[in-house]
Amino acid sequence: MIKAWLVVKELLRGAGITSRHFFVNMTFHTLRLFGIKTKRRGAVTIQYPEERKELSPRHRSLHRIRPRDDGRPSCVACMLCVTVCPSECISVEAAEDPDPEVQKVPAKFVVDLNRCCFCGFCVEACPVDAIRMDTGEIRLASKTRAGLEARLDKP
Amino acid sequence: MLADVLIVLAKVVLALTWTLLLALFLTWVERKESAVMQDRIGANRASVFGLRLFGLFQPFADAIKMLFKEDFAPTFSQRALHWLAPTFSFFFVSVAIVAVPFGDTVRLFGRRIPLQVVDLNAAVLFVLAMLSLGIYGILVSGWASANRYALIGSLRGAAQLISYEVALGLSLVGLIMVFPSLSLSRIVESQGALLFGFLPKWGVFLQPLGFAVFFLAGMAGTKRVPFDLPEGESEIIGFYTEYGGLKFGLFMFTDFLEVIVLSAMSTTLFFGGWQVPWLGDGGFAFPWGGRLDVAPWAVTVLRVLAFNLKVFFFCWLQILTRWTYPRFRYDQIMDLGWKVLVPLGVGNILITGLILAARG
Amino acid sequence: MSGLKRVGLTIDGLKVQAAEGTSILKAAEQAGVVIPHFCYHPALEIEGNCRMCVVEIEGLPKLEPSCSALVREGLVVRTSTERVREARKDVLAFLLAEHPLDCPICDKAGECRLQDYYDRHGLTASRMVEPRERREKKLAIGRGLILDRERCVLCTRCVRFLRQMPGTGELGVFERGLRSEVGIFEDAPVDNGYSGNLVDICPVGAITAEDFRFKTRAWFLARKPSVCPHCGRGCAVTVESVSGYPLAKGERRVYRITARENPAVNGFWICDLGRDGRRDIDEGRHARLMKAGVPVAGLSWQTALADVAAAIRTVPGPERSAGIAVVLNGRLTCEELALAKRLFVAGLGLSKVYFADRKPGSADGLLLTAERLPNGRGVLEAGFAPRLPALDEIAAADVLLVFGPYLSEHLAEEALAKAWAGIPSKFLFSAHEGPLDRLADIVFPVAVPAEKSGTYINVDGTRQTFAQAVKPAAGVAAESAILAGLANLLALDAGGGDAR
Ligand code: SF4
Ligand code: SF4
Ligand code: SF4
Ligand code: SF4
Ligand code: FES
Repeated sequence: MIKAWLVVKELLRGAGITSRHFFVNMTFHTLRLFGIKTKRRGAVTIQYPEERKELSPRHRSLHRIRPRDDGRPSCVACMLCVTVCPSECISVEAAEDPDPEVQKVPAKFVVDLNRCCFCGFCVEACPVDAIRMDTGEIRLASKTRAGLEARLDKP
Repeated sequence: MLADVLIVLAKVVLALTWTLLLALFLTWVERKESAVMQDRIGANRASVFGLRLFGLFQPFADAIKMLFKEDFAPTFSQRALHWLAPTFSFFFVSVAIVAVPFGDTVRLFGRRIPLQVVDLNAAVLFVLAMLSLGIYGILVSGWASANRYALIGSLRGAAQLISYEVALGLSLVGLIMVFPSLSLSRIVESQGALLFGFLPKWGVFLQPLGFAVFFLAGMAGTKRVPFDLPEGESEIIGFYTEYGGLKFGLFMFTDFLEVIVLSAMSTTLFFGGWQVPWLGDGGFAFPWGGRLDVAPWAVTVLRVLAFNLKVFFFCWLQILTRWTYPRFRYDQIMDLGWKVLVPLGVGNILITGLILAARG
Repeated sequence: MSGLKRVGLTIDGLKVQAAEGTSILKAAEQAGVVIPHFCYHPALEIEGNCRMCVVEIEGLPKLEPSCSALVREGLVVRTSTERVREARKDVLAFLLAEHPLDCPICDKAGECRLQDYYDRHGLTASRMVEPRERREKKLAIGRGLILDRERCVLCTRCVRFLRQMPGTGELGVFERGLRSEVGIFEDAPVDNGYSGNLVDICPVGAITAEDFRFKTRAWFLARKPSVCPHCGRGCAVTVESVSGYPLAKGERRVYRITARENPAVNGFWICDLGRDGRRDIDEGRHARLMKAGVPVAGLSWQTALADVAAAIRTVPGPERSAGIAVVLNGRLTCEELALAKRLFVAGLGLSKVYFADRKPGSADGLLLTAERLPNGRGVLEAGFAPRLPALDEIAAADVLLVFGPYLSEHLAEEALAKAWAGIPSKFLFSAHEGPLDRLADIVFPVAVPAEKSGTYINVDGTRQTFAQAVKPAAGVAAESAILAGLANLLALDAGGGDAR
């Protein structure tokens, strides 16, 4: 009997919590509807495309290859990112550079975003700090697979 | 004669329209209410020419989506039955609505027209019967899907509905004993009287236990969370697994219709139906002695409004419940049905009988 | 070995027996103690210039280079005391003081001794504050070899190799002291048939091969042993290939072929012809079955083989000996040759079994033999008397089965075409594209030796069994499978029964 009452009490308490949220939020929604500015809002939702949250400074977004001072990619095609990538999604083809101080440059640098899991290991692995994931570009949807193959050697 | 037929037809159309529109509205309310409860905003993007209206067009968008989805049936399913099942469910529930009185009688063109599609003398039994027939929709859908999980789900559903059917029936016996009638219009009329001179003589005041049992058992009958074992959309697989598009939409819609029917029945049986407290045919007669005359048309409007408000309150309450509690385990459901609600229903009959006998 | 006197010594507490005249380094290696070294190479004369191999010898005041110190009775050697470790660290620090930070773009990375030793024995920060000496980074020294003088550790392995092995000595160390550098003499680039070995023996990435340069990284390569099929020597090789990620589309499968140590055949070296054999595996290959000179998709060799069997069956038993001609080659393994013998000679009773192979080249007196087929001895041992067919011998046949594309090396194309035109059914089993392709009814793509397992017998009679080193492409079958399949099909022939 007592147990049953306790159950009922908890059930009612639960309903109380949800209805409190309902009425409190409803009040703020209504106030806002009538143009009354309140500090609190009825919902915590961020209306994404219109409203945006600022990306954290250590976020990971679309990759980029840092350019050298003269604008050419600073990647030396060492393929360490290719080696470390757990999703096996980077493909680098190296080419000879006429400058003997540079020697090796990427002829093709493709990140297959279809597979990328945005772990950031490639950034960690790069010995020359060429690849970074700081473009802030997080809207990467595409209607084709090819659209998700990011060519990074071309700016 | 022709006029009578036309009037009945008009009433059928009106009642159906009311139910369907309310059900559509409820799909929106469900999204919005749950959102507000959870500090969210809810669906608000559906728009017509840029007009969003808090997502009020969402139900129509949903309906259009459902209509244009592929009409899929598994290869081994029984196609005819597969189609029939959701229509069964839908049909029986919408038929139940004809017995509900929306208001008292109005005088129009010199006729007395009760605001009720048909005034059955055994309306309580009729509604119960129609709700029970809905089980067939579930059973047939599970069978026709040719999917073991769907079949098991539908058996779960049938077991649950039958269990709660018993409690549902028992809970109403006490009420019928106090308002000795099976006709809904008579029951509503009886609730117009006063108790102790001030309290409206609503069923809930005479039969609080009966109401609790009725409402719980009724909610179990709607198969919605926390009683959603038959479908268990989130993890256990249920009877409409193999349904999609329009047919699935019908099942979903039936759920909302059941919510409405349950609300309408709770209102009618326990909360005075269209009765407004202290409002008689001539106007208000307050227990503290005041009087307020109200025009006859306004009385009718007030009463219809009161009915709608009460129904809407119960819909709101059911949605609140659905978004507050997690699902029961199957044994808990059966325990609640057979070991709690049925004994309570029987006890309620005994107590009511004893009190009635004591009062002679 | 037993004739030599053996001496006993202690290395790191282990009692070791070694033949007199062995170096401590070698004795330690035999006992399982690895001593790091750059300039020592078991096949080259000892120079002792890198000092990486120093060890502590009881009773001697200074550390001794173990590559040049010989074993003596009762020596007590320690290879990893504090002093030795310090010495290694210092050697590495000096080498790295002038070394560029090139590992990301260096082809040797991953198999570089300097990297490995730094990781194991060094791990010191550079103390160099002066600017590094800049040197030539991309010097072509001939035969597709590129020298990077910044990376060179002046171990002179390359110089010694060229003097000793091919004996041509194109490289030398020029200048003195800090300015010492490896280089070629004026207008005399490296030009000998063994130049590729320089890449293998250079302990660092100073000498790299243009063919492999920048194509992939060493750690991506799967290394599988095989036997070189390009001459009668049958050198031991390692086939280094990439099969999955990060293989770019249309890239090569086999990235390079390197020498594998086999004292009985080739020691440590292979010639450039064998090294270039990676092209033989990847280039000019038949990818799919060809009918009447046109590749057909979706036809399996098993299905097409039924046509061959049917053509053979059209020749009645007694006429087979004259009506069916078979041309085999010396690239077939002993197992395949035995199978061919059973099938064609014993089974079908053919007498027209010929051989066609690569034309012989010139021997160089070292490894390369004049014979350019790997299994000439195997052919003889299988009981064949190899003979090139004459044109009219082929033309007289009703059914012609040719293994390998080499027939066209010996007979003029127009003449061949004319002769083949008269043959009702002719089938070619070839790994590579060639002029015969358009003449044959069906061309079956077959595997190259690196894609098969089997046995070769080299010119000296050494029998070498090898396993598959790379997987053949889908639809490419080894001749052994084809011969076995043919035998099956013919044995199933109810009317004949003479395939037994
Ligand atoms: S983020 Fe991770 S998965 Fe994506 S490319 Fe870089 S290493 Fe690969
Ligand atoms: S991005 Fe960095 S790690 Fe990747 S290939 Fe280029 S240099 Fe190497
Ligand atoms: S030679 Fe070795 S240490 Fe030097 S750059 Fe190449 S891999 Fe690195
Ligand atoms: S090029 Fe290589 S083998 Fe030759 S001296 Fe330099 S490090 Fe040694
Ligand atoms: S290996 Fe002994 S000094 Fe170089």
